[in-house]
Amino acid sequence: MRFATSAPARGGSTRRPLGRTIGHVGLALTVAFAGLALGAGYWQVLRSPDMSREPDNPLVIAAARNVVRGQIVDRNGKVLASNKRDANGEPYRVYTDRTFSTVIGYASRQYGTAGLERSWNSQLTGASNGNPIGDALRKFQRNPYDPQKLTLGISSALQQAAVKGLGSDRGAVVMIDPQTGEILALASTPIYDSSAIANPATQDQGFAAARDNKAQPLLTRATQGLYVPGSVFKIVTDVAGLGSGQITPSTTFPQQAQAEKDGLVVSGFRIHEHPGVPSETFDLTTATEWSSNIWYALAGLRTGGDNLASFAARMGFGKPLDFDLPTASSQVTNPGGTGPGGFSDLVELANASYGQAETLVTPLQMALVACTVANQGILMKPHLVIATTGRDGTHKVDPAELGRVIGPDTASAIAAAMQAAVESSIGSQFTTGAKVPGVTTAGKSGTAQLGGTGAPHSWFIGFAPVDHPRIAIAVIVEKGGRGGARAAPLAGDLMSLFFKQAGS
Amino acid sequence: MTAATASLPAIFGGIRPRARWRETKLLAVVAATILVGSVSLELTRQVAVPGEATGLHPANPLHLAIYLGLLLVAHVVLILSGRRMDQILFPTVAMLGGISLLLMERLPRNLVVQSVGPWKLGLGDVQLAWLILSFVLATGLAVTVRSDRWLRLYKYTWAAAGVALLLATFVLGDEVNGQRLSLTLGPISGQPSELLKVILVVFLAGYLSENRPLLVEESTRVGPISLPPLPFLAPMVAMWAIALGIVVVQRDLGAALLFFTVFLALLYAATGRPGYVVMGVLLFLVGAFVMYQLVPTVRVRVDIWLDPFKDRTGTGYQVIQSLYAFARGGLLGTGLGAGLPTVNGVLPIPAVHTDFPLAALGEELGLVGIMAILGLFLVVIERGLRIAASAADDFRAILAAGLALVIGTQAFIIAAGNLKLIPLTGITLPFISYGGSSLLVNGIIVGLLLALSDRGVEPPPPPRRPGRLARLTGLGRPAAAHPGPAAARSGPSVPVPPRTPSGAAELAEPGGGDGG
Amino acid sequence: MDPFLLTVWIVRILFLGLLYLFLFRIARALVGDLRAAAREPGAELGRLVVVTSPAGEPAEGTSLALDAIATIGRDVNNAVVVEDQFVSAEHAILTFRGRNWYVEDLGSTNGTFINGSPVDGVAPVGFGDVVQVGQVRLRLERPRSDAGRR
Repeated sequence: MRFATSAPARGGSTRRPLGRTIGHVGLALTVAFAGLALGAGYWQVLRSPDMSREPDNPLVIAAARNVVRGQIVDRNGKVLASNKRDANGEPYRVYTDRTFSTVIGYASRQYGTAGLERSWNSQLTGASNGNPIGDALRKFQRNPYDPQKLTLGISSALQQAAVKGLGSDRGAVVMIDPQTGEILALASTPIYDSSAIANPATQDQGFAAARDNKAQPLLTRATQGLYVPGSVFKIVTDVAGLGSGQITPSTTFPQQAQAEKDGLVVSGFRIHEHPGVPSETFDLTTATEWSSNIWYALAGLRTGGDNLASFAARMGFGKPLDFDLPTASSQVTNPGGTGPGGFSDLVELANASYGQAETLVTPLQMALVACTVANQGILMKPHLVIATTGRDGTHKVDPAELGRVIGPDTASAIAAAMQAAVESSIGSQFTTGAKVPGVTTAGKSGTAQLGGTGAPHSWFIGFAPVDHPRIAIAVIVEKGGRGGARAAPLAGDLMSLFFKQAGS
Repeated sequence: MTAATASLPAIFGGIRPRARWRETKLLAVVAATILVGSVSLELTRQVAVPGEATGLHPANPLHLAIYLGLLLVAHVVLILSGRRMDQILFPTVAMLGGISLLLMERLPRNLVVQSVGPWKLGLGDVQLAWLILSFVLATGLAVTVRSDRWLRLYKYTWAAAGVALLLATFVLGDEVNGQRLSLTLGPISGQPSELLKVILVVFLAGYLSENRPLLVEESTRVGPISLPPLPFLAPMVAMWAIALGIVVVQRDLGAALLFFTVFLALLYAATGRPGYVVMGVLLFLVGAFVMYQLVPTVRVRVDIWLDPFKDRTGTGYQVIQSLYAFARGGLLGTGLGAGLPTVNGVLPIPAVHTDFPLAALGEELGLVGIMAILGLFLVVIERGLRIAASAADDFRAILAAGLALVIGTQAFIIAAGNLKLIPLTGITLPFISYGGSSLLVNGIIVGLLLALSDRGVEPPPPPRRPGRLARLTGLGRPAAAHPGPAAARSGPSVPVPPRTPSGAAELAEPGGGDGG
Repeated sequence: MDPFLLTVWIVRILFLGLLYLFLFRIARALVGDLRAAAREPGAELGRLVVVTSPAGEPAEGTSLALDAIATIGRDVNNAVVVEDQFVSAEHAILTFRGRNWYVEDLGSTNGTFINGSPVDGVAPVGFGDVVQVGQVRLRLERPRSDAGRR
């Protein structure tokens, strides 16, 4: 915009410069309005898809009341969530398989939504299907709601077996395809009756029962339960140590043999080995077979807090995971520490390296650790929903890479150590039952001491086969005892079931 | 202004109509647009109730007819006045008014209920009534204001009146939501802060145009920084203090921001010294910081601007709903009347007709529509600033610029608040928001701008140089003249203080049509 | 897509289109005005041609466009700035009233002259007359394009 003053300044006669300054003011306002236009563009185009999916967006709320929700099916098409009509003809949700309650959650008129019903609410009600072009074109149709059917990657057989295997114990099982990130099982116990909550006739009792259950079934342990990892965390130390080059598969520590007998002194604090480990010097594989705390403490000290924290962060530690359900943030140490990597001192670092101290993990996070090693060091994004189907057909959710954590050779070295931990005569003492007959299996058990007199958590993470793994797993049984007592055999059973189903 | 604006033969003696073809054509487009918009609104209503498609007709034919009739009458009056005024300003404002009517028609009728005699007037009715009054006022001012003497000479009277009005609102105002914004005199209640904006601009125009040379050339040096000359520093800081006062007492953040911004912009326009702007911005930042610490309302507003999602259902609710509305609109919008999904029959955005009309329009007209509306405001600003740039003297230039800035800056502030670009303030979107005071005052502004754009209006008196004391008191009594830097070089003859011009400054108005 | 819905959307798009038509016409008018203003050297009411200027400011021979009111003097805020030691800060003022030009001396030290005769108060100036302030002589001329007068 130019402001032509009524007498252009020429030949020495100067019109008062007000024209010029007014021009500047006009320019400033134009720039300001251009900023407004950009702001409008940001909210109306750029952020439109995700804002339209927020659960408290009135569009979504209005849709939820009027629309028949899309179905949810498992990877083989078995219907898990569908709709019935009540006496007034209004639809309500029905769930066929209670073992999925912690994953799918519920959609209730009175109690809102939880789980997948909540996080995928706008797609299930058809208010938005996450495809901006599709959303824009849907406006032009008489019925603008297009409820999507969700196809989950979970296999009902595996899910049911997992819940059955956990039995009356509290715990979680996560099974992932390491090459794609598809989740094949996400079980948490105890489960609850989500149909009771969704059915308007029984919603109040159903919700009260779930809410008042001391075992907290509404908490999805697989994604939000935070546990001391114990020895399964040693794989994270492997990733950090080998990935940063501080450790090699043949690294040995001369002081180890003595320390196995007397304990390792770190800054005046004595770290003891668990019973049964010989007083020798180990390399990586042997240390993993024996699950040697001393070796791993030394390895962690050599790796350093910074490396441990940063490699862990590459696998998802330190923040909630980008996932279809809300997740808790796993940590290697409490936030706010002043030492390298956030550790407060070397003693803590040493203890954290074998999975005690302030380390806290979710089962999903440990499954991702197994996936990283299994998939040659590349971590794929875990996802529950593998396809959505609407009026315009089926859209597959493509696998996405979260990043390369370590190189393929490093991953192979760790995989070899983990294979020894399952298949060798030494290792299998600790991981009884984890081996899948006829398939090379790798893994690591964990016995997470909780302090006090209670039983420790029983952990196992692993994958199979070792070459081009097709399944990775993480199992935790709360207060289940040693890793080999509950978690390892359960993992072995579930992986065997997977191979039987898949026909290998 | 082409040769097409020839005058028609004189009617009834004094009246000499002058054709305004450009305005006519633009108003025709406005009429068509509002008509189509009204039909669109009606069609959307029919979609919601399927099977009752009654064809293409406007949503509220009576309102439409009255409004278009109003535009026609105003246009004819402007033609009959024979004055050569800007032809683009009025149609643009008419378009904004039309959009406002469509929006008020679309919103639930019972958002506002006013009983007048036997009739119950709803939202659309009341807004139409105010629009009529506003345009009547604008047209009236445009054709009757021939001299700016009453504005120019009595600037301190204006200032005093403004301060009195402000104080009256401080003390006697009605408290609503912790803000003292309106004054009730009997049956009439209005927001004086709206009128205050115009008074401020009138005062500043007089003050700045008179003291311009001093402000441009002199400074008080404080170390390396040059500030405005000391006698003028005081009014500037006083201005700042008044703005802060408004924030503290009235909790009217929008008005304070508006006053201060317009003041700074006019100061820059008059002096061309960026140093003043820098100083002003610094003062603003300091003031804002202090206000943030001291005044809880300010703190709440800034917090929800930074992260409205922290308090989704409480203080942040309004802003979040506004953003949702924009997001739902997308590129083309949902169509007039098709947006704003109600939950339990309640509109999602509270106070949508006063504070968030842009969000509603954003949802229903999309990004395309919002850019058009922003464009309309830019046109209003551009016309106002052009009138300023080609005004005959400094007073008129600053006055016109100030008036244009009031509309433009206000639109910017509320639009930016809706879009979470700056903290939300409770001011109205000119011509589009519901609100009688706002419409009336904006009508006054448009009327004045049109009057100022007339090239035949009385030429201003030549510049005078009253003495320093007189300058400070603004009484204009000639005293010993300020010598000025050029006089330092004395001429060869005996230096004699130049005689100040006698009062023969007032020029007679050039008689009739053709003069300027 | 059913025909009714199609109609509804056509009308909606039409509404947006008309909004833009409005803006477009204004833009066209603005651009046209700018071009006209650039082509025409401005609506002048008159010009001052510098006949004599010993100090060189304004330069001799230059032609200065005039508005309805033009102040002449040494001060930089004048419309016509004249550098000459015999010229006062505010020397004279040229105004156009009705159909004629007038010059008024603003109480300058050394006076203002039209064609050599001193000016007392206000005096009319015709096209071709020479106004003298100090040692600088300026001749009032007609505007460049007479038709530009609006």
